[in-house]
Amino acid sequence: MDVDVIVRNAPFIFGGLYLTAQLAVFAIGGGLVLGILLGAARLSRQPWLYYPVSAYVHFFRGLPLLLVIFWLYFLIPVITGRSLNEFAAAVIAFIVYEAAYFSEIVRAGIQSVSKGQRMAGLSSGLTGVQTLRHVILPQALRTMVPSLVTHSVVIFQDTSLAYVIGLREFLRRVNLVDAREARSLELYLFAGLVYFILCSAGTFTGKRLERKNRERKV
Amino acid sequence: MIEIENVSLWYSKQTRVLFNIDACIGHGRKVVICGPSGSGKSSLLRCINGLESFQEGRILVDGISVLAKQTDIHELRAGIGMVFQHFELYPHMTVLQNITLAPVRVRRKSLADAETHARRLLERVGIQEHAANYPEELSGGQQQRVAIARALAMEPKLMLFDEPTSALDPEMIQEVLDVMTDLAKEGMTMVLVTHEMGFAREVADEIIFMDKGRILEHADTASFFDNPRHDRTRQFLSRILR
Ligand SMILES: Nc1ncnc2c1ncn2[C@@H]1O[C@H](COP(=O)(O)OP(=O)(O)OP(=O)(O)O)[C@@H](O)[C@H]1O
Ligand SMILES: [Mg+2]
Repeated sequence: MDVDVIVRNAPFIFGGLYLTAQLAVFAIGGGLVLGILLGAARLSRQPWLYYPVSAYVHFFRGLPLLLVIFWLYFLIPVITGRSLNEFAAAVIAFIVYEAAYFSEIVRAGIQSVSKGQRMAGLSSGLTGVQTLRHVILPQALRTMVPSLVTHSVVIFQDTSLAYVIGLREFLRRVNLVDAREARSLELYLFAGLVYFILCSAGTFTGKRLERKNRERKV
Repeated sequence: MIEIENVSLWYSKQTRVLFNIDACIGHGRKVVICGPSGSGKSSLLRCINGLESFQEGRILVDGISVLAKQTDIHELRAGIGMVFQHFELYPHMTVLQNITLAPVRVRRKSLADAETHARRLLERVGIQEHAANYPEELSGGQQQRVAIARALAMEPKLMLFDEPTSALDPEMIQEVLDVMTDLAKEGMTMVLVTHEMGFAREVADEIIFMDKGRILEHADTASFFDNPRHDRTRQFLSRILR
Protein backbone atom coordinates (compact mmCIF):
# COMPACT_ATOMS: atom_id res chain seq x y z
CA MET A 1 0.00 0.00 0.00
CA ASP A 2 1.29 3.40 -0.94
CA VAL A 3 -0.90 6.00 0.71
CA ASP A 4 1.54 8.66 -0.31
CA VAL A 5 0.14 8.65 -3.85
CA ILE A 6 -3.02 10.26 -2.45
CA VAL A 7 -1.16 12.85 -0.41
CA ARG A 8 1.00 13.78 -3.39
CA ASN A 9 -2.03 14.29 -5.63
CA ALA A 10 -4.38 15.69 -2.98
CA PRO A 11 -4.81 19.21 -4.44
CA PHE A 12 -5.67 17.77 -7.86
CA ILE A 13 -8.03 15.12 -6.52
CA PHE A 14 -9.79 17.38 -4.04
CA GLY A 15 -10.17 20.04 -6.71
CA GLY A 16 -12.22 17.39 -8.49
CA LEU A 17 -14.25 16.72 -5.38
CA TYR A 18 -15.07 20.42 -5.22
CA LEU A 19 -16.33 20.28 -8.81
CA THR A 20 -18.35 17.18 -7.97
CA ALA A 21 -19.90 18.95 -4.99
CA GLN A 22 -20.74 21.99 -7.09
CA LEU A 23 -22.34 19.85 -9.76
CA ALA A 24 -24.36 17.98 -7.13
CA VAL A 25 -25.58 21.19 -5.50
CA PHE A 26 -26.70 22.69 -8.81
CA ALA A 27 -28.25 19.41 -9.93
CA ILE A 28 -30.20 18.90 -6.70
CA GLY A 29 -31.21 22.55 -6.24
CA GLY A 30 -32.16 23.16 -9.86
CA GLY A 31 -33.72 19.72 -10.26
CA LEU A 32 -35.88 20.23 -7.19
CA VAL A 33 -37.12 23.68 -8.21
CA LEU A 34 -37.96 22.52 -11.72
CA GLY A 35 -39.34 19.28 -10.25
CA ILE A 36 -41.75 21.22 -8.02
CA LEU A 37 -43.05 23.16 -11.02
CA LEU A 38 -43.41 19.99 -13.09
CA GLY A 39 -44.94 18.00 -10.23
CA ALA A 40 -47.53 20.70 -9.61
CA ALA A 41 -48.25 21.00 -13.34
CA ARG A 42 -48.94 17.27 -13.56
CA LEU A 43 -51.70 17.67 -11.00
CA SER A 44 -53.23 20.55 -12.89
CA ARG A 45 -56.56 20.12 -14.63
CA GLN A 46 -55.42 22.32 -17.50
CA PRO A 47 -54.80 20.01 -20.45
CA TRP A 48 -52.24 22.39 -21.98
CA LEU A 49 -50.15 21.99 -18.81
CA TYR A 50 -50.85 18.39 -17.95
CA TYR A 51 -50.14 16.70 -21.27
CA PRO A 52 -46.85 18.34 -22.26
CA VAL A 53 -45.45 17.99 -18.75
CA SER A 54 -46.50 14.35 -18.48
CA ALA A 55 -44.85 13.71 -21.84
CA TYR A 56 -41.68 15.42 -20.61
CA VAL A 57 -41.54 13.30 -17.46
CA HIS A 58 -42.17 10.02 -19.28
CA PHE A 59 -39.62 10.93 -21.92
CA PHE A 60 -36.74 11.54 -19.54
CA ARG A 61 -37.64 8.68 -17.25
CA GLY A 62 -37.31 6.39 -20.23
CA LEU A 63 -33.71 7.40 -21.01
CA PRO A 64 -30.38 6.66 -19.36
CA LEU A 65 -28.81 9.73 -17.77
CA LEU A 66 -25.58 9.07 -19.64
CA LEU A 67 -27.35 9.54 -22.94
CA VAL A 68 -28.96 12.80 -21.85
CA ILE A 69 -25.56 14.17 -20.84
CA PHE A 70 -24.18 13.25 -24.26
CA TRP A 71 -27.14 14.76 -26.06
CA LEU A 72 -26.98 18.08 -24.32
CA TYR A 73 -23.26 18.36 -24.73
CA PHE A 74 -23.39 17.71 -28.45
CA LEU A 75 -26.83 19.09 -29.31
CA ILE A 76 -26.78 22.46 -27.60
CA PRO A 77 -23.85 23.77 -29.66
CA VAL A 78 -25.57 22.54 -32.84
CA ILE A 79 -28.79 24.33 -31.93
CA THR A 80 -27.39 27.54 -30.46
CA GLY A 81 -24.22 27.73 -32.53
CA ARG A 82 -22.16 28.30 -29.40
CA SER A 83 -20.03 25.72 -27.70
CA LEU A 84 -20.79 24.90 -24.12
CA ASN A 85 -18.25 24.05 -21.46
CA GLU A 86 -18.46 20.62 -19.89
CA PHE A 87 -19.59 21.86 -16.51
CA ALA A 88 -22.49 23.91 -17.87
CA ALA A 89 -23.56 21.05 -20.11
CA ALA A 90 -23.46 18.62 -17.18
CA VAL A 91 -25.44 20.96 -14.92
CA ILE A 92 -28.16 21.47 -17.53
CA ALA A 93 -28.35 17.75 -18.27
CA PHE A 94 -28.68 16.86 -14.60
CA ILE A 95 -31.33 19.50 -13.91
CA VAL A 96 -33.40 18.57 -16.94
CA TYR A 97 -33.14 14.87 -16.17
CA GLU A 98 -33.47 14.84 -12.40
CA ALA A 99 -36.40 17.25 -12.48
CA ALA A 100 -38.41 14.44 -14.03
CA TYR A 101 -37.65 12.21 -11.04
CA PHE A 102 -38.13 14.95 -8.48
CA SER A 103 -41.49 15.79 -10.05
CA GLU A 104 -42.72 12.29 -9.25
CA ILE A 105 -41.67 12.67 -5.63
CA VAL A 106 -43.30 16.11 -5.47
CA ARG A 107 -46.49 14.83 -7.05
CA ALA A 108 -46.79 12.04 -4.49
CA GLY A 109 -46.05 14.54 -1.72
CA ILE A 110 -48.76 16.92 -2.88
CA GLN A 111 -51.24 14.07 -3.15
CA SER A 112 -50.47 13.05 0.42
CA VAL A 113 -51.92 16.34 1.70
CA SER A 114 -55.65 15.98 2.33
CA LYS A 115 -58.12 17.50 -0.10
CA GLY A 116 -59.68 19.41 2.77
CA GLN A 117 -56.56 21.55 3.11
CA ARG A 118 -56.87 22.63 -0.49
CA MET A 119 -60.54 23.41 -0.02
CA ALA A 120 -59.75 25.46 3.09
CA GLY A 121 -57.22 27.51 1.16
CA LEU A 122 -59.44 28.03 -1.86
CA SER A 123 -62.51 28.83 0.21
CA SER A 124 -60.66 31.68 1.90
CA GLY A 125 -60.11 33.34 -1.48
CA LEU A 126 -56.54 32.20 -2.14
CA THR A 127 -55.84 31.30 -5.76
CA GLY A 128 -54.82 27.77 -6.69
CA VAL A 129 -51.18 28.80 -6.91
CA GLN A 130 -51.28 30.61 -3.55
CA THR A 131 -52.92 27.60 -1.94
CA LEU A 132 -50.23 25.37 -3.36
CA ARG A 133 -47.43 27.62 -2.20
CA HIS A 134 -48.60 28.52 1.30
CA VAL A 135 -50.79 25.58 2.30
CA ILE A 136 -49.98 22.43 0.34
CA LEU A 137 -46.27 22.56 -0.51
CA PRO A 138 -44.95 23.27 3.00
CA GLN A 139 -46.79 20.18 4.24
CA ALA A 140 -45.89 18.11 1.20
CA LEU A 141 -42.18 18.95 1.44
CA ARG A 142 -42.15 17.72 5.01
CA THR A 143 -43.46 14.30 4.06
CA MET A 144 -41.12 14.25 1.07
CA VAL A 145 -37.90 14.70 3.07
CA PRO A 146 -36.94 11.00 3.17
CA SER A 147 -37.42 10.44 -0.56
CA LEU A 148 -35.73 13.73 -1.41
CA VAL A 149 -32.67 12.85 0.63
CA THR A 150 -32.46 9.35 -0.82
CA HIS A 151 -32.68 10.68 -4.34
CA SER A 152 -30.20 13.47 -3.65
CA VAL A 153 -27.66 10.90 -2.52
CA VAL A 154 -28.22 8.99 -5.76
CA ILE A 155 -27.65 12.19 -7.73
CA PHE A 156 -24.43 12.82 -5.85
CA GLN A 157 -23.22 9.36 -6.81
CA ASP A 158 -24.31 9.82 -10.41
CA THR A 159 -22.32 13.02 -10.87
CA SER A 160 -19.40 10.78 -11.81
CA LEU A 161 -21.20 10.09 -15.10
CA ALA A 162 -20.20 13.57 -16.25
CA TYR A 163 -16.77 12.10 -17.05
CA VAL A 164 -18.18 11.02 -20.44
CA ILE A 165 -18.05 14.59 -21.71
CA GLY A 166 -14.61 15.09 -20.20
CA LEU A 167 -15.56 16.86 -17.01
CA ARG A 168 -12.70 16.32 -14.60
CA GLU A 169 -14.73 15.67 -11.52
CA PHE A 170 -13.58 13.62 -8.55
CA LEU A 171 -13.65 10.08 -9.92
CA ARG A 172 -12.26 11.17 -13.27
CA ARG A 173 -9.27 12.75 -11.54
CA VAL A 174 -8.66 9.65 -9.47
CA ASN A 175 -8.74 7.77 -12.73
CA LEU A 176 -6.22 10.16 -14.30
CA VAL A 177 -3.83 9.86 -11.36
CA ASP A 178 -4.05 6.10 -11.64
CA ALA A 179 -3.15 6.26 -15.33
CA ARG A 180 -0.03 8.19 -14.41
CA GLU A 181 1.04 6.40 -11.26
CA ALA A 182 -0.48 2.92 -11.60
CA ARG A 183 -1.75 2.67 -8.03
CA SER A 184 -5.24 1.33 -8.67
CA LEU A 185 -5.80 -0.41 -5.36
CA GLU A 186 -5.00 2.57 -3.13
CA LEU A 187 -6.69 5.13 -5.34
CA TYR A 188 -9.98 3.34 -5.89
CA LEU A 189 -10.26 2.25 -2.27
CA PHE A 190 -9.75 5.86 -1.32
CA ALA A 191 -12.39 7.03 -3.81
CA GLY A 192 -14.82 4.49 -2.40
CA LEU A 193 -14.17 5.69 1.12
CA VAL A 194 -14.83 9.32 0.18
CA TYR A 195 -18.12 8.51 -1.57
CA PHE A 196 -19.16 6.28 1.31
CA ILE A 197 -18.49 8.90 3.97
CA LEU A 198 -20.25 11.70 2.12
CA CYS A 199 -23.28 9.62 1.17
CA SER A 200 -23.61 8.28 4.70
CA ALA A 201 -23.45 11.81 6.05
CA GLY A 202 -26.27 12.76 3.67
CA THR A 203 -28.40 9.78 4.64
CA PHE A 204 -27.77 10.42 8.33
CA THR A 205 -28.83 14.06 8.01
CA GLY A 206 -31.97 12.93 6.22
CA LYS A 207 -32.83 10.52 9.03
CA ARG A 208 -32.39 13.27 11.60
CA LEU A 209 -34.63 15.65 9.66
CA GLU A 210 -37.22 12.92 9.40
CA ARG A 211 -37.11 12.30 13.12
CA LYS A 212 -37.40 16.00 13.88
CA ASN A 213 -40.44 16.13 11.60
CA ARG A 214 -42.14 13.34 13.41
CA GLU A 215 -41.55 15.00 16.75
CA ARG A 216 -43.10 18.23 15.50
CA LYS A 217 -46.15 16.32 14.36
CA VAL A 218 -47.25 14.99 17.77
CA MET B 1 -78.76 36.77 -1.28
CA ILE B 2 -78.25 33.20 -2.52
CA GLU B 3 -80.35 32.06 -5.46
CA ILE B 4 -79.98 28.43 -6.42
CA GLU B 5 -81.71 27.72 -9.70
CA ASN B 6 -82.23 24.21 -11.02
CA VAL B 7 -78.76 23.01 -10.06
CA SER B 8 -77.67 19.48 -10.97
CA LEU B 9 -74.30 17.99 -10.18
CA TRP B 10 -72.71 14.69 -10.99
CA TYR B 11 -69.23 13.35 -10.43
CA SER B 12 -69.62 10.80 -13.21
CA LYS B 13 -72.49 9.42 -15.29
CA GLN B 14 -73.37 6.84 -12.62
CA THR B 15 -72.99 9.08 -9.58
CA ARG B 16 -75.40 11.92 -9.91
CA VAL B 17 -75.36 13.81 -6.65
CA LEU B 18 -77.74 16.77 -6.96
CA PHE B 19 -81.01 16.78 -8.89
CA ASN B 20 -82.56 20.09 -9.94
CA ILE B 21 -81.99 21.95 -6.70
CA ASP B 22 -83.97 25.17 -6.26
CA ALA B 23 -83.70 27.36 -3.22
CA CYS B 24 -83.54 30.98 -2.24
CA ILE B 25 -81.81 32.20 0.89
CA GLY B 26 -82.40 35.74 1.98
CA HIS B 27 -79.97 38.21 3.50
CA GLY B 28 -79.33 37.62 7.21
CA ARG B 29 -81.18 34.30 7.24
CA LYS B 30 -79.95 31.22 9.09
CA VAL B 31 -80.67 28.10 7.10
CA VAL B 32 -79.96 24.61 8.35
CA ILE B 33 -79.56 21.81 5.84
CA CYS B 34 -80.09 18.31 7.15
CA GLY B 35 -80.62 14.88 5.72
CA PRO B 36 -79.18 11.38 5.71
CA SER B 37 -75.54 10.66 4.91
CA GLY B 38 -74.75 10.86 1.22
CA SER B 39 -77.76 13.00 0.40
CA GLY B 40 -75.57 15.73 -1.10
CA LYS B 41 -75.48 18.33 1.67
CA SER B 42 -71.73 18.92 1.51
CA SER B 43 -71.81 18.93 -2.26
CA LEU B 44 -74.50 21.60 -2.31
CA LEU B 45 -72.55 23.72 0.15
CA ARG B 46 -69.44 23.46 -2.03
CA CYS B 47 -71.45 24.49 -5.07
CA ILE B 48 -72.35 27.76 -3.38
CA ASN B 49 -68.76 28.97 -3.26
CA GLY B 50 -67.74 27.28 -6.48
CA LEU B 51 -65.55 24.59 -4.95
CA GLU B 52 -67.64 22.16 -6.94
CA SER B 53 -68.54 22.83 -10.57
CA PHE B 54 -72.08 21.76 -11.22
CA GLN B 55 -73.16 20.78 -14.72
CA GLU B 56 -76.58 22.41 -14.89
CA GLY B 57 -78.35 25.41 -13.47
CA ARG B 58 -76.85 28.43 -11.81
CA ILE B 59 -76.19 29.90 -8.41
CA LEU B 60 -76.19 33.62 -7.75
CA VAL B 61 -74.60 35.10 -4.65
CA ASP B 62 -75.63 38.74 -4.29
CA GLY B 63 -76.54 38.63 -7.96
CA ILE B 64 -73.15 37.31 -9.06
CA SER B 65 -73.19 33.99 -10.88
CA VAL B 66 -70.74 31.61 -9.23
CA LEU B 67 -69.59 29.70 -12.28
CA ALA B 68 -69.87 32.47 -14.89
CA LYS B 69 -66.65 33.06 -16.82
CA GLN B 70 -66.52 36.76 -16.04
CA THR B 71 -66.89 36.19 -12.29
CA ASP B 72 -63.75 36.59 -10.20
CA ILE B 73 -64.25 33.40 -8.23
CA HIS B 74 -61.44 34.19 -5.78
CA GLU B 75 -62.99 37.54 -4.95
CA LEU B 76 -66.35 35.86 -4.48
CA ARG B 77 -64.93 33.15 -2.20
CA ALA B 78 -63.06 35.75 -0.18
CA GLY B 79 -66.45 37.10 0.88
CA ILE B 80 -67.82 33.69 1.86
CA GLY B 81 -66.46 32.00 4.98
CA MET B 82 -66.41 28.22 5.18
CA VAL B 83 -66.00 25.97 8.22
CA PHE B 84 -65.32 22.27 7.82
CA GLN B 85 -66.10 19.13 9.76
CA HIS B 86 -62.41 18.38 10.31
CA PHE B 87 -61.42 22.02 10.95
CA GLU B 88 -58.74 22.01 8.22
CA LEU B 89 -56.46 24.35 10.09
CA TYR B 90 -53.03 24.56 8.47
CA PRO B 91 -50.89 22.31 10.68
CA HIS B 92 -47.58 23.99 9.78
CA MET B 93 -48.75 27.43 10.89
CA THR B 94 -49.52 28.89 14.29
CA VAL B 95 -53.06 29.86 15.18
CA LEU B 96 -52.25 33.49 14.38
CA GLN B 97 -50.66 32.64 11.02
CA ASN B 98 -53.69 30.50 10.16
CA ILE B 99 -55.90 33.51 10.62
CA THR B 100 -53.73 36.13 8.92
CA LEU B 101 -52.81 34.16 5.79
CA ALA B 102 -55.82 35.05 3.65
CA PRO B 103 -56.21 38.68 4.82
CA VAL B 104 -52.56 39.30 3.96
CA ARG B 105 -52.44 37.36 0.69
CA VAL B 106 -55.92 38.05 -0.64
CA ARG B 107 -56.92 41.37 0.89
CA ARG B 108 -53.35 42.70 0.83
CA LYS B 109 -53.62 43.81 4.44
CA SER B 110 -50.41 44.61 6.28
CA LEU B 111 -49.30 41.84 8.62
CA ALA B 112 -49.61 44.17 11.61
CA ASP B 113 -53.21 45.08 10.79
CA ALA B 114 -54.08 41.47 10.10
CA GLU B 115 -52.60 40.36 13.42
CA THR B 116 -54.44 43.03 15.39
CA HIS B 117 -57.68 41.96 13.79
CA ALA B 118 -56.83 38.27 14.33
CA ARG B 119 -56.22 38.81 18.05
CA ARG B 120 -59.55 40.57 18.37
CA LEU B 121 -61.27 37.64 16.68
CA LEU B 122 -59.48 35.13 18.91
CA GLU B 123 -60.71 37.05 21.90
CA ARG B 124 -64.20 36.90 20.52
CA VAL B 125 -64.08 33.10 20.22
CA GLY B 126 -62.36 32.85 23.60
CA ILE B 127 -58.89 31.53 22.77
CA GLN B 128 -56.67 34.62 22.71
CA GLU B 129 -54.04 32.90 24.86
CA HIS B 130 -53.33 30.32 22.15
CA ALA B 131 -52.34 32.70 19.34
CA ALA B 132 -48.79 31.35 19.20
CA ASN B 133 -49.71 27.67 19.48
CA TYR B 134 -49.86 25.17 16.66
CA PRO B 135 -53.26 23.60 15.89
CA GLU B 136 -52.15 20.17 17.10
CA GLU B 137 -51.66 21.64 20.57
CA LEU B 138 -55.34 22.61 20.86
CA SER B 139 -58.42 20.56 21.63
CA GLY B 140 -60.92 19.88 18.87
CA GLY B 141 -63.33 22.49 20.16
CA GLN B 142 -60.59 25.10 20.29
CA GLN B 143 -59.43 24.20 16.79
CA GLN B 144 -62.93 24.63 15.41
CA ARG B 145 -63.23 28.02 17.08
CA VAL B 146 -59.95 29.04 15.49
CA ALA B 147 -61.34 27.87 12.15
CA ILE B 148 -64.37 30.10 12.67
CA ALA B 149 -62.11 33.03 13.57
CA ARG B 150 -60.07 32.33 10.44
CA ALA B 151 -63.18 32.52 8.29
CA LEU B 152 -64.35 35.71 10.03
CA ALA B 153 -60.99 37.37 9.41
CA MET B 154 -62.04 37.90 5.80
CA GLU B 155 -65.12 39.79 7.02
CA PRO B 156 -67.46 37.57 5.05
CA LYS B 157 -71.04 38.46 4.30
CA LEU B 158 -72.02 34.79 4.29
CA MET B 159 -70.82 31.80 6.31
CA LEU B 160 -71.08 28.16 5.29
CA PHE B 161 -70.71 25.45 7.96
CA ASP B 162 -70.34 21.79 7.03
CA GLU B 163 -71.07 19.66 10.11
CA PRO B 164 -68.88 21.85 12.31
CA THR B 165 -69.49 19.78 15.44
CA SER B 166 -69.66 16.22 14.05
CA ALA B 167 -65.99 15.47 14.67
CA LEU B 168 -66.01 16.84 18.22
CA ASP B 169 -66.16 15.05 21.54
CA PRO B 170 -69.57 15.67 23.14
CA GLU B 171 -68.21 17.95 25.85
CA MET B 172 -66.79 20.34 23.26
CA ILE B 173 -69.83 20.69 21.04
CA GLN B 174 -71.47 23.40 23.11
CA GLU B 175 -68.53 25.81 23.07
CA VAL B 176 -68.57 25.78 19.27
CA LEU B 177 -72.35 26.07 19.06
CA ASP B 178 -72.16 29.07 21.41
CA VAL B 179 -69.80 30.87 19.06
CA MET B 180 -72.13 30.11 16.17
CA THR B 181 -75.15 31.31 18.12
CA ASP B 182 -73.40 34.62 18.86
CA LEU B 183 -72.58 34.98 15.21
CA ALA B 184 -76.19 34.36 14.29
CA LYS B 185 -77.35 37.04 16.71
CA GLU B 186 -75.05 39.55 15.04
CA GLY B 187 -77.00 39.12 11.84
CA MET B 188 -74.63 37.01 9.76
CA THR B 189 -76.18 35.09 6.88
CA MET B 190 -75.49 31.45 7.64
CA VAL B 191 -75.99 28.16 5.84
CA LEU B 192 -75.31 25.23 8.12
CA VAL B 193 -75.21 21.52 7.60
CA THR B 194 -75.74 20.06 11.04
CA HIS B 195 -77.51 17.33 12.91
CA GLU B 196 -77.70 19.37 16.11
CA MET B 197 -81.46 19.68 16.05
CA GLY B 198 -81.67 21.55 19.34
CA PHE B 199 -79.38 24.21 17.91
CA ALA B 200 -81.34 24.23 14.65
CA ARG B 201 -84.61 24.78 16.42
CA GLU B 202 -83.16 27.63 18.43
CA VAL B 203 -81.13 29.44 15.78
CA ALA B 204 -82.43 28.54 12.33
CA ASP B 205 -85.04 30.54 10.45
CA GLU B 206 -85.52 27.84 7.84
CA ILE B 207 -84.69 24.16 7.46
CA ILE B 208 -83.92 22.35 4.24
CA PHE B 209 -84.28 18.60 4.28
CA MET B 210 -82.40 16.72 1.59
CA ASP B 211 -82.58 13.11 0.54
CA LYS B 212 -80.82 11.37 -2.35
CA GLY B 213 -79.75 14.61 -3.99
CA ARG B 214 -83.12 16.36 -3.84
CA ILE B 215 -84.66 18.92 -1.56
CA LEU B 216 -87.68 17.17 -0.06
CA GLU B 217 -88.69 19.93 2.26
CA HIS B 218 -87.83 23.58 2.71
CA ALA B 219 -89.83 25.25 5.46
CA ASP B 220 -89.49 27.67 8.31
CA THR B 221 -88.21 26.07 11.45
CA ALA B 222 -91.43 25.88 13.40
CA SER B 223 -93.47 24.22 10.69
CA PHE B 224 -90.60 21.90 9.80
CA PHE B 225 -90.49 20.45 13.29
CA ASP B 226 -94.18 20.66 14.11
CA ASN B 227 -95.73 19.39 10.94
CA PRO B 228 -93.27 17.96 8.45
CA ARG B 229 -95.00 17.24 5.18
CA HIS B 230 -93.06 14.21 4.02
CA ASP B 231 -92.90 10.72 5.46
CA ARG B 232 -89.15 10.71 4.84
CA THR B 233 -88.78 13.85 6.93
CA ARG B 234 -90.84 12.37 9.73
CA GLN B 235 -88.77 9.18 9.69
CA PHE B 236 -85.56 11.18 9.71
CA LEU B 237 -86.71 13.41 12.54
CA SER B 238 -87.93 10.54 14.68
CA ARG B 239 -84.58 8.83 14.27
CA ILE B 240 -82.47 11.88 14.95
CA LEU B 241 -84.55 13.25 17.81
CA ARG B 242 -84.87 9.76 19.35
N1 LIG C 1 -65.31 13.83 -5.09
C1 LIG C 1 -66.30 12.94 -5.23
N2 LIG C 1 -66.23 12.01 -6.23
C2 LIG C 1 -67.19 11.10 -6.38
N3 LIG C 1 -68.28 11.01 -5.61
C3 LIG C 1 -68.41 11.87 -4.61
C4 LIG C 1 -67.41 12.88 -4.36
N4 LIG C 1 -67.82 13.61 -3.30
C5 LIG C 1 -68.98 13.09 -2.90
N5 LIG C 1 -69.36 12.05 -3.68
C6 LIG C 1 -70.62 11.29 -3.56
O1 LIG C 1 -71.67 12.20 -3.62
C7 LIG C 1 -72.72 11.83 -2.75
C8 LIG C 1 -73.09 13.00 -1.88
O2 LIG C 1 -71.98 13.32 -1.06
P1 LIG C 1 -72.02 14.49 0.01
O3 LIG C 1 -70.70 14.47 0.68
O4 LIG C 1 -72.45 15.74 -0.65
O5 LIG C 1 -73.13 14.00 0.99
P2 LIG C 1 -73.47 14.51 2.45
O6 LIG C 1 -74.94 14.71 2.46
O7 LIG C 1 -72.62 15.65 2.80
O8 LIG C 1 -73.11 13.25 3.33
P3 LIG C 1 -72.48 13.19 4.79
O9 LIG C 1 -73.60 13.39 5.76
O10 LIG C 1 -71.95 11.79 4.86
O11 LIG C 1 -71.42 14.21 4.88
C9 LIG C 1 -72.23 10.63 -1.98
O12 LIG C 1 -72.83 9.49 -2.55
C10 LIG C 1 -70.75 10.61 -2.22
O13 LIG C 1 -70.29 9.29 -2.25
MG1 LIG D 1 -71.05 15.95 4.23
